[in-house]
Parts: sequence; structure tokens; C-alpha cells
Amino acid sequence: MLSTRVIACLDVHNGRTVKGINFINLKDAGDPVEQAKQYSTIGADEICFLDISATHEKRRAMFNVISKTAESCFVPLTVGGGVNDLSDFRDLLNSGADKVSINSSAVYNPKLIKQSSDKFGNQCVVLAIDAIENISMPSGYEVTTHGGRKKTNIDALKWAKQGVKNGAGEILLTSMKSDGTKKGYNLKLTNLVSKNVSVPVIASGGAGSPKDMVEVVLKAGASAVLAASIFHYGIHTINSVKNEMSKNGILVRDCEN
Amino acid sequence: MNLVIIDYGSGNLRSVENAFKNSVKINKLNFTIQVTNKLGLISKADHLVLPGVGSFPDCKKGLEDIKGLIKLLTNEVIKNKKKFLGICVGMQLMVDFSLEKQRTEGFRWLDGYFKKIGKKGLDYLGRDYKIPHMGWNNLQFEYNNHPILENITENEQFYFVHSFVLESKKPNQIIASTNYSQKIPAIIGKGNYIGVQFHPEKSGNSGQKFIYNWLKWCP
Repeated sequence: MLSTRVIACLDVHNGRTVKGINFINLKDAGDPVEQAKQYSTIGADEICFLDISATHEKRRAMFNVISKTAESCFVPLTVGGGVNDLSDFRDLLNSGADKVSINSSAVYNPKLIKQSSDKFGNQCVVLAIDAIENISMPSGYEVTTHGGRKKTNIDALKWAKQGVKNGAGEILLTSMKSDGTKKGYNLKLTNLVSKNVSVPVIASGGAGSPKDMVEVVLKAGASAVLAASIFHYGIHTINSVKNEMSKNGILVRDCEN
Repeated sequence: MNLVIIDYGSGNLRSVENAFKNSVKINKLNFTIQVTNKLGLISKADHLVLPGVGSFPDCKKGLEDIKGLIKLLTNEVIKNKKKFLGICVGMQLMVDFSLEKQRTEGFRWLDGYFKKIGKKGLDYLGRDYKIPHMGWNNLQFEYNNHPILENITENEQFYFVHSFVLESKKPNQIIASTNYSQKIPAIIGKGNYIGVQFHPEKSGNSGQKFIYNWLKWCP
């Protein structure tokens, strides 16, 4: 039976990891390639790089990071951040990314979802939605861009459904209110989107303990859980998260094999 | 030995190349690996790997755009019995046809056709079956002691991402299957040719074991 995925996310700025984990045996905690390799060794089911570089030039560093990671890291690799058009998509895939997540660019250029899924297949198009509560929206949630700073007046659920219709193969759903709080995922939002789209939904934003992961799967139907900062300080590991999930009847991949 | 990964514009070539190179290096195998679309090099190769991501019709078109490639492949694999591995859509292409988007003919090396995964009911946690079938799943062996499964257990997991499933009247060509809402053939094959629905190149240590098994397999 299919395991519920635990995805480790790394923020990368100018080719360097922001808030990298202090793995004991790591030569360079700021090297995303080393970080990704460690994560895959300790059982992360997927690695997600989010490029937060400010300029296009600095983004070139990302291609190098991806191609080096793909040489030694044999789990799926998702890359997002600053993907504006089909040529960005192609460059990332050619560097070794398996999936590309698009967020702001899909909002400002809605055709990009269809174009990219037609061109590269829906398995590699991840629609990232940063949602924020807004009671004037039909679903109660609004899509934001630029890390939650810009509102779009687009209903989050409608946007998710439209994205899937246009060819997104997966939805990476972040609750901007929960993000960084470590108080748990937004169950209501995750459940709402998960119930209403046919593709897998990755819950993101707010994970503070392994129990949060359990909750968002059991109560909100998430297909996968993504976390960044929970792993950074070594208090919780991929393994402790998977143990807790397993104890609660959620199938996870045992990476001992 | 000379291994060719066939390049016809499908996406995950780099990943496949990296994973095979890693296996060759770690296991100290005497293999050279080339990624090419040149018919001359393909016909000289000892072993062939056909990757494939995206849609069946797109991959088929990519192959057709390289004049003579499909005919050469069938000749090398069926007549000259070269060892072959099809991955994901590369595996799907080995059967009669697929119904993805429209009916598109495959190589007809194996029996059956691909149709959309039926998603009946809910999973063990009461969740809908999402399509694509995306993530890590284990295998049930349908065939005892196949060399391709050496040192691999039914508890190990492999990375799948696909929306179509093989429908076939010949169960003896199914080497292993997986389960997602329905039984899904995961490894198919006959004689010297094998196809896998999962991505061994993205399946961590278990994937590396599979690649190693395939590389040293002498059908």
C-alpha cells in the first residue's frame, strides 16, 4: 500500500541553505547538496528546494545545486521559487529536478500550468498555493503571492480546482497564517482542498511536532506532509516523525532497506 | 559492457543516467554508459534502457521523430535479444496500446493496454484515492526467485508516479505488482526485456538494488 510521504524542505538563498540542519557529520551546514544527501539518507521521501534568491543571476547558482544533488540523491527532487516561464521549467528539469513548483508565476500567468503540463507532463507540475484566511472569499481562503505579502482576490479552493483542471499533478498547500508558528498545520484548509481535488495534496506550514503530521493526515486527509524548520534544530527527526505516524496507523516508508 | 540510455527528448534522462552511473561505480561493474539517440550507437549497445516521463502519446511521438528508432529497437530487443529496461512510460510503450488522451499504439512486445487507474472507494485511512498514484509503494512478487528481485523484499518501497494501469489477459508476463485502489502491474517482462512502472532511479537504496540486479542479470 502507498505510504504517506514526509517531505523535507530546504530554503536556498544564492546557492546556500538558509537555516540548514546541524547534522553532526556535515562538512558544511550551508551546502544544500550535503543537506539534501543527508535528508535522503535518513529517510526523507522527497526533497524540496525553495529558491529564495532575489535576482535572476543568483538563481543560476540553483542549477548547479540541483545538478550536484541529483548526482547523489536518489529520491524525488522538487524545486520551486522564481519559475516564470517554460524555459525556467526546462532548465530546472534538465538540471535534474523531478518536479517544479510554481506559485506567483501561475497567478500572474495562469496559462503556465497548462503549458508546462502539456509540455513536460502533469507529474512534474506542482501548484504551490499560499493561502490566507479571508471570510469574503467563497471558500474562506484567499491566494496570496510573494510569501503572503500580496493578496490576489482569488479564492484558494477555486484556484486549486482550476489548477488541477489545467494539469497540475499535485498541490503544495501552505497556510500562511500557520507558517513558521510551529502550532500545527491548518486542518480546515487542508481538509477543504484535499476533499475537493483529485490530485495529491501536500500539507505545509505550521509543523511543530510529529503529532502535527499525524493530525493533518488523519483529520484533514493530507497525502503528504512537508516541513522545514521542525527538522532544523534536531529536536525532531524524519525518523521520529515517521515513528509517530506509524504508531498512529499511518503507513510510512521504512528506509532501513 | 556497453549500456545505452535512449535519448528521445523525455524528461528524466539525467536522473536515470546518474542512478545507473552510481550503481556501476559503487558495485565496480565494467560498464560504459551512453545517453544517445544515434541509431548506430544504439545498435552497437549491449544493453538498452528506455526512460519515459510525461504522456504516452508525447513519448511515442518523440520516438517516432527519430527516424527508424522504433523499428531498430524491436529488431535489437526481439530479434537480437538484447537486454532491455523500460521505465514508466518506457514500460508502457512495450505493450499493445494506451488509452491516454487517445488510443496510441505501443511496440506490441507484451500483451495488453493501459487505461486510467480506477479509483473505487477510500483508502485505509478513509482518504480518496488521488490520481496520479504518486509516492512510495511496495511490491507483491508474482514470480518466485526472479533474478531481478534478488535481495529485494516485499516490504521495500519504490517510487511511483503514474495515472494509467496495464490491463492484460496474460498474467504470466507480470513479475511483480503493487496495490493502489486496485492491483497494478509494477514489473512486467518476458525473456530479455523488462519494464517497470516505478522509477528505480528515484527509489533510494531499493532502487539501487533493482538497478544492480538488472545490470548483472543475464537473461
